[in-house]
Amino acid sequence: MEIQSDVKVKIRVNGTAVSATVQAGDSLLDFLRNQARATDVKCGCNQGDCGTCTVIYDGKAVKSCLVLAAQADGKEVRSLRGLMEDPLMQSLQNAFVECGAVQCGFCTPGMLVASWSLLQENSNPTRGEMRQGISGNLCRCTGYKKIIDAISLAAAQHVVTDGTANLADLADRLDGQAQAKANYLLLGGG
Amino acid sequence: MLHYSFCKPGHLIEALQVLSEYGGRARIAAGCSNLLPDLKARHLQDCLLVDISELEGLRGIQAEGDWATVGSLTTIAELAVSPLLREGAPLLWQACQSFGDPLVRNRATLGGNLGHASPAADTAPPLLAMEASVATESLSGGRREFPIAELFAGPGRTNLRPGELILSLRFPLFQGKHEAFVKFGLRDAMAISLASAALSLRLHDGLMQDVRLAYGSLAATPFRATRTEECLTGMPFNEETLSLASAQAQGEVRPITDVRASSSYRRQLAGALLRQAARAALS
Ligand SMILES: Cc1cc2nc3c(=O)[nH]c(=O)nc-3n(C[C@H](O)[C@H](O)[C@H](O)COP(=O)(O)OP(=O)(O)OC[C@H]3O[C@@H](n4cnc5c(N)ncnc54)[C@H](O)[C@@H]3O)c2cc1C
Ligand code: FES
Ligand code: FES
Repeated sequence: MEIQSDVKVKIRVNGTAVSATVQAGDSLLDFLRNQARATDVKCGCNQGDCGTCTVIYDGKAVKSCLVLAAQADGKEVRSLRGLMEDPLMQSLQNAFVECGAVQCGFCTPGMLVASWSLLQENSNPTRGEMRQGISGNLCRCTGYKKIIDAISLAAAQHVVTDGTANLADLADRLDGQAQAKANYLLLGGG
Repeated sequence: MLHYSFCKPGHLIEALQVLSEYGGRARIAAGCSNLLPDLKARHLQDCLLVDISELEGLRGIQAEGDWATVGSLTTIAELAVSPLLREGAPLLWQACQSFGDPLVRNRATLGGNLGHASPAADTAPPLLAMEASVATESLSGGRREFPIAELFAGPGRTNLRPGELILSLRFPLFQGKHEAFVKFGLRDAMAISLASAALSLRLHDGLMQDVRLAYGSLAATPFRATRTEECLTGMPFNEETLSLASAQAQGEVRPITDVRASSSYRRQLAGALLRQAARAALS
C-alpha cells in the first residue's frame, strides 16, 4: 500500500475516463472543475451546505465537495452535462424554463441533478417529498415554489409519456402556474 | 504546515497497521462529510488520510434474533430506508429521517457520525437510549466492545485509543416500547440541531417504567439524563409529572452558548423537547 501526497486517479466523468494527479486533500469538486473541466458543476460554499456541486457519484446523488478526489479513483461520475441526453433530464430542463424556476441560474445545475435523482427513485412524489428531495440545495433567488412547480410538471409529463397517467390526479398535484402550464402542455398546446 | 497524504488500505489489518504506525497523525476517512469541510477550513494540518470507505465487512445491517449489528460504514441513507430499523429500532430510524439532507445522507456514515463526536451527532441520543454497544479494533489492543456512553469524551473527542477503529454498533430490536426522537433546529433540513432528545419507556398499569432519555447538543457530549429518567419512573403520564421532569431536565443539562443559541435558551429546550418527545411517544 502506497502513501502518497500526489495521488494518481482515473475517474470516469460523463462517460470519459479522465486520468489526473490530485493532491491528497483535494475534493472531487476540485478535480471536476480544475482537472476534468466539468465547469457545469458549481462551487458555492465548498463545505457541504449549498448543493451547487451535486453530481451522481457511484450511482447516488452527492455533494462533490464532500468526496475526496483520491477516494473517487475508479469511480463513475455524472454531472448535469452527462445527463442531458436523458429524457427525464430534458423534461426537467424544459419544465424549469416553463415555470420560471431559473433566475440567476447558479443553483440550477445542482438543483437539476438532485431533482433528477429524486424522480429516478420516486417517479410520482408528493410536493412534500419534492421539498425533502431538494432540501440539500439552496436557491437564493426563486423561493423554491417555482422549482417545486417545475419538478411537478416534469414528473407529470413523465407519467404521461409512461402511459400510466391519470390527468385528474396529476392536476391535483400541480399548483398554480404549473397547473396552467401543464394543462397547456398536456392538452396539446405545446 | 499544511501537508496531507493519502492511502487506501486493501483490508482491515492493513488499515489497523497504518493507523497504529502513524498514531495521532493518521485520520480515518469514511464518508468525508465532516472531514473535507475540516480540511478546507484548515482545522486539520499535516495528516495522513486513511481511506476506509471500501473496506470489506464494515457495511450493512444484520439481525440476529432480537439484536441488530450495524457496520460502521453503513450510510445514514441506508439506515433511513431499512424496514428492519423502522419496525425494530424506531428511535434510530427517526433520527435518520431528519438527518442532514438526502445528498449528505448518501455519504454520511454511522461510524463517522460517532467518530466525529459532535455533541449534536444525531445518531447518538437514540443509540444511548437503546444502550447500544460499540465494537472496535486496534492493532495493539485487539477487539473490544463497550457501552456507547463510554465513547464520548468531549466536543469532537472520543475515548478511542490511538489507532482504534469503530467496527460496528450493536443494539436490541423490537423492544416494544413507546419511543420518540425529536430534534429542534433553525431550519427543517440540513441544520445542525440546537437540541435533540430520544425517549423510550413502557407503561405498566398507567405508570412509566424502563425510562431512557438521552439528549444531544445540551452538554459537552451526547448523554443520558439519568436523574430525569428516575424522576419519570413509576409516575403516571400527566401534566404534573411532565412539569416536574422538565424542571429536573433543565437542571440536569449543561448546555453552552454558541453562535446558534444561548445556554439559557437551550436549557428551556431541554424541558420543551422532553414534553414533545413524551407526547409523541405516547400518542
Ligand atoms: C450539510 C451537512 C449537514 C449535516 N447534517 C447533520 C445532521 O443533521 N446530523 C448529524 O449528526 N450530522 C450532520 N452532519 C455531519 C456529518 O454528515 C455526520 O457527522 C456524518 O455522519 C459523518 O460521517 P462521515 O462518514 O462523513 O465521516 P468522516 O467525515 O469520514 O469522518 C468523521 C470523523 O470520524 C472519524 N471516523 C470515521 N469513521 C470512523 C470509524 N469507523 N472509526 C473511528 N473513527 C471514524 C474520522 O476520522 C473523522 O474524525 C452534516 C454535515 C453536512 C456537511
Ligand atoms: S459547494 Fe458543495 S455543497 Fe456547496
Ligand atoms: S436561481 Fe439564483 S440561486 Fe437559484
